[in-house]
Amino acid sequence: MKKLNKISRKIFALALAVVLAVSLAACGANGGVPVIGLSQYGEHASLDNCRLGFVQGLTDAGLTEGEDYTLDYQNAGFDDNIAIQIAQNFAAQNVALMCAVATPSATACYAAAEDKDIPVIYNAISDPEAAGLTVGNISGVSDKLPVAAQLQLIRAMQPDAAVIGILYTTSEPNSVSAIAEYEALAGEYGFTIDAIGVTAQSEVTQAADTLIQHGVDCFSNLTDNNVVGVLPSILEKTNEAGIPVYGSEIEQVKLGCVASAGIDYFELGRQAGAMAARVLAGESAADIPGETVTNFETYINSAALTEMGISVPADIAEKAIEAE
Amino acid sequence: MLDLIISTLTQGFIYALLSYGIYITYKILDFPDLTVDGSFPLGAAVTAVLLTSGWDPYLSLLAAVAVGALAGFVTGLIHVRLGVRDLLAGIITMTALFSINLQIAGSNLYVEREIDTIFTAPATMALFGGMSLMGRKLVVSLLLAVLVKLLLDVYFSTKNGLLLRAVGDNSTLVTTLARDKGSMKILGLVIANALVALSGSVVCQEQRAFSSTMGTGQMVFGLATVIIGTTLFKKLSFVKGTTAVVAGSIVYKICIQLAISLGLPANLLKLVTAALFLIILVLGEQKKLSLHRKGGAKHA
Repeated sequence: MKKLNKISRKIFALALAVVLAVSLAACGANGGVPVIGLSQYGEHASLDNCRLGFVQGLTDAGLTEGEDYTLDYQNAGFDDNIAIQIAQNFAAQNVALMCAVATPSATACYAAAEDKDIPVIYNAISDPEAAGLTVGNISGVSDKLPVAAQLQLIRAMQPDAAVIGILYTTSEPNSVSAIAEYEALAGEYGFTIDAIGVTAQSEVTQAADTLIQHGVDCFSNLTDNNVVGVLPSILEKTNEAGIPVYGSEIEQVKLGCVASAGIDYFELGRQAGAMAARVLAGESAADIPGETVTNFETYINSAALTEMGISVPADIAEKAIEAE
Repeated sequence: MLDLIISTLTQGFIYALLSYGIYITYKILDFPDLTVDGSFPLGAAVTAVLLTSGWDPYLSLLAAVAVGALAGFVTGLIHVRLGVRDLLAGIITMTALFSINLQIAGSNLYVEREIDTIFTAPATMALFGGMSLMGRKLVVSLLLAVLVKLLLDVYFSTKNGLLLRAVGDNSTLVTTLARDKGSMKILGLVIANALVALSGSVVCQEQRAFSSTMGTGQMVFGLATVIIGTTLFKKLSFVKGTTAVVAGSIVYKICIQLAISLGLPANLLKLVTAALFLIILVLGEQKKLSLHRKGGAKHA
């Protein structure tokens, strides 16, 4: 028994040593190729598209991974503290550039990059100004929602609708500012907004039930991380109640939202990738103005539209892209 | 590599402040205090608001300590005076603080680079101006961690401190000494949450940001650091609990750093961290087990 104990202790010590050795090796090895540290806040379709688009943007600029740059991709799993350590890891490695996807990661990268003045390219941040990400060696692409275009789309699809229901998380600043914009613009298109704020993902479906109970004419969905995470279960409820849900980007329409005037996050990432290529070529991120997505598309899900009994006006059907 | 060690140690020292708090509630009072997930961002929220409105960064630290103490006091009152169970009392305060934090800060709040923090304030620059920002972050957080540790060590050796330590271990003793056990519990919660909010304040100054979700999981983090720290040093009785806790916090941050540096698929990060914890805890426990056996053999 004692012997067994000794052996297992040795195995553990060995395991620990291996882990240490491998990690040291991982720290040391990266030749002369510039490293891009990519910190993504968490894993969901839109953020993933951002990352894939970013790499495509670099490829478009003629850069090949492994030859012109190496990508160190890290994911914080929606944990702010991990995002901090990832950013500091990049700073310690002295990466050539940090790319941050979503606000908490961007904040962490911005703080960690200050000392060595490492350029930061952000991505998927609705309001970089309010997030304090406009001063210094930083630039990027914002994903501010096209609220007016969305309201116009809903009006065209449902000429008789009066109340739009929206679910959002009170702690997500992107959502809070979107709600403010919805409320400011709704009147112009003859809508009122019924918004319910939640504090955690576990409350979202209850809030959805409440909106259905209120008898809203449709839902408009934001890019709220919490709400998007449980969108399929919301759609299950709204489909049963016969209430159409409008999305805010293509992935949501693929999931079963009827339509969206929205952002293609892959394109967003591509724009950021192009920016990163400029920085790698020697431009300072401080001199590159922040960009927004100006080219919005209309996405539709014909199956979902038919199920809701909504007929698409001809002028929209003409330019709309079927999400599949 | 040196940079990586510096930034990991900095994180370890900053979060050690929070771990001291959990050490008091969990290890000394035997109180699972979930207030932490609310008082940590509370310290950050107050700091962010004060810094952006022009307060001195050091005074902001003290203000955070004061509001944190208040949060602990509320949990204490709910538990001791209203008779709500310990876990629930913490949950109530934590839940309320989520809204209160957002009320205080308005929304998530950012501290611009022109605004001085404890890492860039004139007093800090006068002492450590020759260092890089990264170096200053390490030195200032180290000093804070050591200062708080020494203060706690002194306090624990006073009569009042001894009474506090008796509440969790031997509460009859406290009653025998004609002291109110409840008041001592409240005092412990006040000190603990003051420290947790202090940690939140330092994180806010270091990250230049408050986010309402930054408290999520801090209680679990603190528990892990306290358990890792006290397990590692169980054998060495001359190591004070507070020292063990600092070590626990640093080991925790190193584990995460290792998991990040390993370059495994991103989704495996937490799994690797968990595996590292397990290794450490098993190693620590084994030492204790084998010691125990030796002792047993003697008696036989």
